[in-house]
Amino acid sequence: MKYAYFPGCSIHTTAKEYGISSKAVSKVLGIELVEIPEWNCCGAMDAVYAYNPLLSISLSARNLALAESMKMDVVTLCSACFFTLSRAHKLLREDSELKGKVDKLLNESGLQYTGEVRVRHFLDVLIRDVGLENIAKNVKVKLDGLKVAPYYGCMLIRPPNIVHFDDPEHPKSMELIIEAIGGKNVDYIYKTRCCGASLGLTDGEVMMEMTKDLLLEAKNANADCIALPCPLCHLNMDAKQKSIESTFDIKIGMPIVFFTQLMGMAFGLNPKELALNKNCVPTGKLFKQIHD
Amino acid sequence: MVKQEPKIGVYICRCGCDVEGNISATVDVEKVKEAAASINGVKIAEVYEYVCSNPGQQMIRDGIKEHGLNRIVVAACSPRMHLETFKRNVKQEGLNPYLLEIANIREQCSWIHEDKKLATPKAIDLVVRAVERARNLKPLEEKTVKVNRAALVIGGGIAGINASVELADKGYQVYLVEKGPSIGGHMAQLGKTFPTLDCSSCILTPKMVYVAQHPLIKIFSMSEVTKVEGSPGNYKITIRKRPRFVDATKCTACGECAKKCPITVKSEFEVSLGQRKAIYQPFRQAVPSAYSIDKEHCLYFTKGVCKVCQKFCKANAVDFAQQEETIELNVGAIVVSTGYEILDPYGVRQYSYGLHPDVVTHLQFERLLVQGLHRPSNKEQPKKVAFILCVGSRMVENANDSDYCEYCCNIGCMNAIKEAYVFQKEVPDAEPWVFYTDIRAHGKGYEEFYARLRNHGVRFIRGRAAEVVPNNGHLRVRAADTLLGMPIEEDFDMVVLSSGLVPSPGTETLARMIGIHTGSDGFILERHHKLRPVDTQREGVYACGCALGPKDIRETITESMAVASQVATFLGKGEVPVSAEVAIVDEKKCNGCEECFKFCPARAVEKVPSTFRTRMEINPMSCTGCGICVPVCPKDAIDLNHCTEEQLMAQIRGVEQKDDVSPKILAFIEKNTAYASADLAGQTRAHYGPNIRIISVPSTGRVGFKHLLQAFASGADGVVFVEGEDSAFTGDKLREHVTHLKKDLQTVGVEPLRLVSTTITIPQYPKMVDTFEVFATRVSKIGPLSPKVRLEIGEKLAKLKEGESR
Amino acid sequence: MKPNHRHAITSQMMDKSFLADVMKMRGGQNILDCIQCGVCAGSCPASWAMDFTPMQIVRMLHLGMKETVLSSSTIWICASCYTCATRCPRGIDIPLLMSALKNTAIKEKVPARIPIKPKFHKSFADIVQKYGRIHEPELFLKIANKTDMHGLMENATLGWTLLRKGKLRLKAPKVNQKTQWSSLFKNVAKEGSN
Repeated sequence: MKYAYFPGCSIHTTAKEYGISSKAVSKVLGIELVEIPEWNCCGAMDAVYAYNPLLSISLSARNLALAESMKMDVVTLCSACFFTLSRAHKLLREDSELKGKVDKLLNESGLQYTGEVRVRHFLDVLIRDVGLENIAKNVKVKLDGLKVAPYYGCMLIRPPNIVHFDDPEHPKSMELIIEAIGGKNVDYIYKTRCCGASLGLTDGEVMMEMTKDLLLEAKNANADCIALPCPLCHLNMDAKQKSIESTFDIKIGMPIVFFTQLMGMAFGLNPKELALNKNCVPTGKLFKQIHD
Repeated sequence: MVKQEPKIGVYICRCGCDVEGNISATVDVEKVKEAAASINGVKIAEVYEYVCSNPGQQMIRDGIKEHGLNRIVVAACSPRMHLETFKRNVKQEGLNPYLLEIANIREQCSWIHEDKKLATPKAIDLVVRAVERARNLKPLEEKTVKVNRAALVIGGGIAGINASVELADKGYQVYLVEKGPSIGGHMAQLGKTFPTLDCSSCILTPKMVYVAQHPLIKIFSMSEVTKVEGSPGNYKITIRKRPRFVDATKCTACGECAKKCPITVKSEFEVSLGQRKAIYQPFRQAVPSAYSIDKEHCLYFTKGVCKVCQKFCKANAVDFAQQEETIELNVGAIVVSTGYEILDPYGVRQYSYGLHPDVVTHLQFERLLVQGLHRPSNKEQPKKVAFILCVGSRMVENANDSDYCEYCCNIGCMNAIKEAYVFQKEVPDAEPWVFYTDIRAHGKGYEEFYARLRNHGVRFIRGRAAEVVPNNGHLRVRAADTLLGMPIEEDFDMVVLSSGLVPSPGTETLARMIGIHTGSDGFILERHHKLRPVDTQREGVYACGCALGPKDIRETITESMAVASQVATFLGKGEVPVSAEVAIVDEKKCNGCEECFKFCPARAVEKVPSTFRTRMEINPMSCTGCGICVPVCPKDAIDLNHCTEEQLMAQIRGVEQKDDVSPKILAFIEKNTAYASADLAGQTRAHYGPNIRIISVPSTGRVGFKHLLQAFASGADGVVFVEGEDSAFTGDKLREHVTHLKKDLQTVGVEPLRLVSTTITIPQYPKMVDTFEVFATRVSKIGPLSPKVRLEIGEKLAKLKEGESR
Repeated sequence: MKPNHRHAITSQMMDKSFLADVMKMRGGQNILDCIQCGVCAGSCPASWAMDFTPMQIVRMLHLGMKETVLSSSTIWICASCYTCATRCPRGIDIPLLMSALKNTAIKEKVPARIPIKPKFHKSFADIVQKYGRIHEPELFLKIANKTDMHGLMENATLGWTLLRKGKLRLKAPKVNQKTQWSSLFKNVAKEGSN
């Protein structure tokens, strides 16, 4: 199982632990993630698009063209990159005028994009290519009913006619994996509600109000941790958790882990291999809980 | 038979006095008379003020008597005005009415043009063509055929039940076919009905009993139609009747069998909110009342054991060996009343249907109200209930790729309001909230009912609900109150989804079997939206109720009465006229290739096995005279009465005359809708060029390559096809036809640009006028057809004709 | 929140050519299909923070109320979560439309209701054009605004937290093969931005 791996900007910076733990889990499962050489920022949803739509789509197209030359499907860890690349793929397929413009730009840089390559999220690879049985086989440490609140966020599942992955209202993908590794899924009402991460730097107050509700609901449902598949959501709920606690004068103390970190713990990997020390809300207790 | 020498009389109308008449104002009728009189075979040409008037008609009759006229041409207003009058008139004088031809020189000439110098040569051309056609007309006899005074009603819901009642009371034998074990349909599942709050069963069950006891109605339950053959007035129906495994003549419906049956399954009647046994009656008032065994769950059929029901049946009615039956029926008319089904709201994922037992459809809530309202989850009484409207309806797209309806379900608003009311009556301090997009209260008494409920404390929130999420034993509903521009969130005990209504499963298949159409929404398509709302495209086949589209009970009853009236009109005289203008196959030429069978839109072509090969025959009862089969036959074995090859070619040819106009364009116009539209253009005094010469045809599918060759050979520089949009020769088929013709034209050196086509509805005459003008300009630009090509075409045509006559 | 006007909306506020422009934007082709049902407004997790709900914005687009729309906070607060578009019964891609409106506001230099937003988008795009990838410290510096000390402090705290965990790179990133990269950027600028 070999894929053209698109890390996205956050994997090398704000979400280092996601990249590290995913690589570790991939090694166990026999997945080869070949990083796309010279990959560039995908465009980050509408961060670039709002200022320069053609640049945004070209950014995505360049990555897709590079993957095409590798003759492999693109796999990404970041949900926002997953969405951005998928949307560019769709827009280019539907708008021939746009494709013409982008083709011209790519050709001048010596690249070509025919639209053949598929864009997939790592979760998709785990469920469809690896299979839940194989995942369960590699479990060395039972999570023993650890209460996990799965948080899907937005871009992994919406809208279904662009990302084609899981049910947009009642997704199951992460929960299937959590069950496969021995965890217990906690049901709470906000698991697909937007946390407002993209507003974090510019409308901090709005974002914190949105994220606070999610954290409180997960806490009230007695979850031991929240597992998620996106660097932006993670940044929000993890690095800003202390800020949210002080702003609203509440106590949360909920470890926020990437689902691959959870998988890694179930596979018996050590905290260093999973970069558990990089999470802002301490994960030590969580690790101990699992290993007892 | 010696060919009768044609003695033609031409009668030209001024349509008014002197040069002020509707025709004579812009057409020099004297010149037309002169031209007509000089045509070979024309014995007399006359001009009169009002040819349609008594003296005018007398003139014609005198002409027939005095000159022995055997062909009459009337050059006057549109045949849509007075054709029948003229036909009756000549018949009176002993002349076959099919030997009459009308040239439309008013709506399609004098009213279109203002310049006499241009209108007159056009009028002459039209009259000349009419004379040439008249020369070739043949007498035809209108026959009648006896019809079967029985009707088949498919579907035993309220629509089918009431249609059966109405028809049987009119004295017709009715066969009512119902798929399930009992008639009654969805109406049997309802509690109270809006806006009068009648109890549904109270008004339905008496009708069901009446149907069961009526001597002229025979119910076929557990039955489906599998084949429809024959022709209007004489349909042969094949029905498949599934076994009940209970002898309906012996069963007393005492219910002892069900008491003892060990198998319990979800009840369809209770929409899965209740249970039944494997041997069951769908509901207490079922008609027929006999029980039936569900083969898929019965222990005897699945495992070969039990048979307890048989043991305890005092009437000895259980019969495990009962077989499927095939029944053949002969009927004169068919009524489709197959009703509707609820759209499964599972596909509207944000409402969590199927994820929590307290999220139900409006039909399920209806059953709960009848049973005694309780929450499916914990059996407690709900206090706060959210009604969400437009679930799966009024949608143009679905990001999810699940089913949805573009149309409004018609009854969702009123039904929810009614259910809210009943809920309030049943539960003290009940709190119904209705989340709506628009309140549609269109029927009689609906608005008043809605107003009453608003005053009764039913809370209405204007905003389509965004999501329903199970939350700690409750259901959290989130919506925007769009009137305030604010989000609103509330926890409820139950959520009721007013789900969309879709056609009953199998409607499409049934429609194809019968030879009728469904619309883009999947419901049966009516013949005409306003004027023929319960007729279908096939003669003798009608539809009523929700089979045509979602509607309330009152409208359903109204349609069922309309359908009974239509059937009575059709079958009432015991015989129906068979049109003489039908297609006929020359059995000597037919080689049984079945091309005509493929193209016939009316199911009129029948395969007749004969000694050496199958040959095709056209049933005149079913034939609608469109003529599409004629050019399609590779052996030229088919001809169409009253638009024969001879008649059409003669009309296209006209008479060799100096080109009075350039470019000359022949417009083949379908004789019903498109022709009416062309007339409307004249009525409103629209203008288009005098180079357009209209020839009426039953359908533009009648016109083939040979006719185009004749058109171009005889002086045309361009040809237009105009077909009615509601025609059986659909827009797609017309486009295909024209594409082939263009290819063929290229092979003889005619530019494909010289042929164009369009479809039209009656009020769209500006589109027709525009098409004419644009096309005329285009043909002018490319210039008249090269004389060399014209000659070559003429030669080719002559060779073709030679080949035919051999 | 009411649009700016005296006592009634008049045709002077309605720019028909703006509606035509919107219908040519990506995401705006089918906005006339909107039946104003309100599913978008009900689904939006941030509508409480907006001056107009998404449904109201579409309504104003129907009426061509250009100024009101482009100076609203709604278009900037939309986080592209796509909850609305997933449920819209008429298939309108509201987030894409919002992005197009952001772009129009920036191009036409309409003063933004939330001034830091256009600055954010421009900075992000500029940084990505320069390095090929985002450089968070530079982004933070570019949008730092002394008039919003609270926001500035929040971002600074976040930056410090990440830096301590080794999750913030002070050195600018580099996409190898700079020539291929920068020529693409130059050509995009030539093409124009749509």
